[in-house]
Amino acid sequence: MEEQVGALWHKLITRAADQRYPAQAVTLEQIKKTAGILFRAWGGDSGLAVKSATATAHGAKRSLLQRIAGSNLKTELTWLDGETLNLPSLIDIFPERSLNRDLYLWLIALAAAESDSSFSWIVRNQAATLAVLAKFPGLAPRYRRLVEAVLITRFQPSEPGAREQEAAIRAALLNPGSVARLPPARCAPQPVCLWLHPDPPVTLPAAGGGKEPENHEGGDSKKSDNERRYQAERVQMPEEKNAFMMYFRAESIFSWAEYIKVNRATEEDEPPDARPAEDLDKLSVAQDGKTSASRLRFDLDLPSEAADDLPLGDGILLPEWHYKKQCMQPAHCRLQPMVARNAVPLALPSHLSATARRLRSQFEALMPAKVWLKGQFDGSELDLDACVQFTADRIGGLEARETGLYKAHHYRDRDLACLLLADLSLSTDAYVNDHARVIDVIRDTLFLFSEALSATGDRFALYGFSSLKRENIRFHVLKEFERKYNDEVRGRIAAIKPGFYTRMGAAIRHASQLLVKQTATQRLLLILTDGKPNDLDQYEGRYGVEDTRAAIHEARLMGLRPFCVTIDEKGGSYLPHLFGVNGYIVIRKPSELPRELPLLYAQLTQ
Amino acid sequence: MKMSELPFYKPHGNEIELFEHAYRNRLPLLIKGPTGCGKTRFISHMAAKLKLPLYTVACHDDLTAADLVGRHLIGDGVTYWNDGPLTRAVREGGICYLDEVVEARKDTTVVLHPLSDDRRILPIERTGEILDAPPEFMLVVSYNPGYQNFLKGMKPSTRQRFVSLRFNFPGAELEQQIVIGETGADAMLAKCLVNLAGSLRALKEHDLEEAASTRLLVYTATLIGSGFDPVEACRAALVEPLTDDEETAEALMEIVYATFGK
Repeated sequence: MEEQVGALWHKLITRAADQRYPAQAVTLEQIKKTAGILFRAWGGDSGLAVKSATATAHGAKRSLLQRIAGSNLKTELTWLDGETLNLPSLIDIFPERSLNRDLYLWLIALAAAESDSSFSWIVRNQAATLAVLAKFPGLAPRYRRLVEAVLITRFQPSEPGAREQEAAIRAALLNPGSVARLPPARCAPQPVCLWLHPDPPVTLPAAGGGKEPENHEGGDSKKSDNERRYQAERVQMPEEKNAFMMYFRAESIFSWAEYIKVNRATEEDEPPDARPAEDLDKLSVAQDGKTSASRLRFDLDLPSEAADDLPLGDGILLPEWHYKKQCMQPAHCRLQPMVARNAVPLALPSHLSATARRLRSQFEALMPAKVWLKGQFDGSELDLDACVQFTADRIGGLEARETGLYKAHHYRDRDLACLLLADLSLSTDAYVNDHARVIDVIRDTLFLFSEALSATGDRFALYGFSSLKRENIRFHVLKEFERKYNDEVRGRIAAIKPGFYTRMGAAIRHASQLLVKQTATQRLLLILTDGKPNDLDQYEGRYGVEDTRAAIHEARLMGLRPFCVTIDEKGGSYLPHLFGVNGYIVIRKPSELPRELPLLYAQLTQ
Repeated sequence: MKMSELPFYKPHGNEIELFEHAYRNRLPLLIKGPTGCGKTRFISHMAAKLKLPLYTVACHDDLTAADLVGRHLIGDGVTYWNDGPLTRAVREGGICYLDEVVEARKDTTVVLHPLSDDRRILPIERTGEILDAPPEFMLVVSYNPGYQNFLKGMKPSTRQRFVSLRFNFPGAELEQQIVIGETGADAMLAKCLVNLAGSLRALKEHDLEEAASTRLLVYTATLIGSGFDPVEACRAALVEPLTDDEETAEALMEIVYATFGK
C-alpha cells in the first residue's frame, strides 16, 4: 500500500513539476538518418557517428515543485567528441511535435558550426548561433520560434545572482552576440536546451594495446538495445597501499561513482543489466592487473598448433591506416593464409541440392556468348545475304520488304572475376533463428554461390577471415582462382568455423592483391559480413572503420569493385561511410542470404 | 551551329590558353571532370571562339567504330559510303568532341590512336582510304573519373596520347557569377544556391553518389527566375535529381529549408 501511494505521488508530482509532452516527443531513432545527413551537409566531420548522449547533472537551481519531486536533476545535452555527435535520445519539451523536431535540427546545425572552444560557454554558443544564422538564413524563423518556446519553459529564479544570470542568458538567446560574459552566481545556470554542452566530456582514446572485449562476443547472448554512449574516463589503477585493509562491503553501494579499488575478486556472470550506469555521470574504467576468467577463457581459444588449421607460408606483412595520424603504418599487420587441416572432401549437402539445381539452370543462361546478329537495321557491316536477297527481290519486281541489311557484333561479354571474402569472426556464432547460426547461413551461402558461379564459367575465389590482434590475422583459403570447384573445396567450406575478431582492413587489402592479378575487365570484391570491423586492440570504433574505409578506397583505385553484403541491421550508421551509397546491401532476413546472394551477383555483374 | 555569338563561359584558370596552344600545335586534348561542371560548354565556347565547326558525339556503350568512322548505306541497287562524325571532322577540319569517351566500347577508342599521335591520319578500312587530318582538325575527348567509372576507365595507352585538363566545380564566387551569367538571377539568390550546393557536395560518396552540379544550379535558378516557388524549384531541380531514397530526399529538403526558410 505504502509503495503504491508512493508511486502514485511520484507520478503526480513529477508530472506537475516537469512540463513534458510525451505524446509530441521526437526520438533520435526517428530522425537518425536525417540527422547524419544534415550534420555532414552543414559542414560536420563525415566520419562521426550519431549517438544518443547520457544525461548530465546540471547543478542549477530548480523550481519548488521540481525540488519536491526530486526531478530535473539531469538534462540531456548535445556535444561532439572525436568519434561521435552526441544528441539527446528524445526531445519532448515543447507541446508541438514540429518544435521538438526543429530543436533537433537546430542542435545539429549548431554542432556542425565551428566554434572556438577557448571562449566561455555563453560566448561560444552565441558565436555559433550567429554563424549558423548567417550561413543558413532560412533557419532564422525557426530559431525565433524555438527561442519563444524555450523562454516560456524557463523559470525565473528569485535569488540575486541567479536572477542576473538568467537575464543574461535570455538576452543572449534573444540577441545572440550581445552578451560578453555570464554574471557570477552561487548555482550553475539553468541548462539551455538550444545550446551545446557547457563542458563537453572528453573521451580518451583507448590506450594502444589495451584490451577491450568485443561487446557481442558471446555467441548466444542477447543483443543489447541500449546503444547509449556512457561518459567514461579512463583512470589509473590506484596502487594498493595497504593490502591488509578490509573495506566494508556495503560502502561500495554508496560510493558507486567514486573510484575505489575494492578488495574483491572480479565477479563472473555479471548481470547484463547496466541500469546503475544510467545514474552515473561518469563511469570510471581502469585496467587492473588481473584478467577476469571470462576474458582468459576467451583468449585461450587459440587452438594448439596441432589442432589448428594448416598455415601456408610465413605470413604476409600488410600496412594499416591510422586515421588520427593520417598515415599508413607500413608492415603493421601479419596475415597468415591457412587451410583447413582435416577437411574431408564431400558432395553438396542434400538440403541444398534442390536450390542448387535451380540456381545452376538460371545461371547457365548467363554463359558468355559472342555472336554476329544478322538482319539488323543498324550495324557495323552489311549483311551480304540480306543485301543480295533484297536486290534480287527488287529487280525481280517483288515488293521490297522491310528487312535489316546489316550485321551487328553482339557482345555478351562476361569477362569477370569475383572474389568472395567471408567474415568468420566469433560473432557469426550467434543464432539467427531457432535452427541456424550465422556461420551456418554463411556456409550455405558459400555452397550455393559456388554452385551458381561454376555454372556461368566466371572465375571466382572464396576466402574467409578472422583476426586476433594485428599479428594474427587468419586468412582461410577455401578456393583459389586456379582451383576447380570440387569435392575438396566443398570439404573446406564445410569445415569453416567461427572464431576471433574482424580486422577487416588487412583482409580486404590481401584479397585486393589477389584479385588485382586477375586480368578480367570486371573484378568484383564481395565482402560478406555480419557487423562492424573490430579487434581486441585499438581496432574498434572509428579506427577500425577508417582503416577499412582506406582499404576499400585502395581497392577502388586498383580498379576493383568492392561490394559489401551484410546482415547487420544497424549497419546504416557506418556502411555508407565505408562503401558509399550503392556499395552495400543489408539483408534483413539472414536466412534468405544463401538464396539472395547468387541473384545479387547476377544483378551486379549484368 | 551559329558562330556569330559566343556561348557564355567563365574560365576557372588557364584552360582557354591551354586549349589555344594545343590547337595551334595540333595536340589532342582530354578533359576530365564531374558531370555538369562545364566541360561541354567549354568546348562549344572554344569552337565558337576559334571559328571551327564542332562535331559532338555522345558516347554510349553500344557505340561502335562504324558509328564514328562511317558505314555503307544501301541505295538503289548500289551502296553508298556515309561518313561518320569523326571522318567528317577530319575531312572538313574542325573539332571532333567525344563526350564521355569511357562509355564507348574499348575497341572503339582504338580508331582514335592513329589520329591522336603525330601521324594524324584516319585509315578507313572499309573504303581503303587514308585521310590526312588538316591543321584545323582537333580531337577532344572528355570523361567523368568518378569511382563508378573505374571499371571501364580509359586504357592507359589511349590516355597517354592526350594533353589532359582537369575540371572541377568552380569556387563559390565564380559559381555565383556563372549562375548569374546563365540565368540573370539576382546576386542574393545565386549566393543562396551556391551555398546550398556546397552543403550538398559535402555529402558526396557518403550519402549521395554524385555531387550537385553547376548545371543543376542553373536549372534551379532558371525555374525560380521564371516565377516558380524557390523551395519547390530546389526540390524538383536539386534534390530529386540527386537521390531516389525518400528519407535522404527529406533530409536534403531540410537543407533547402535552412537556406530558403520554411
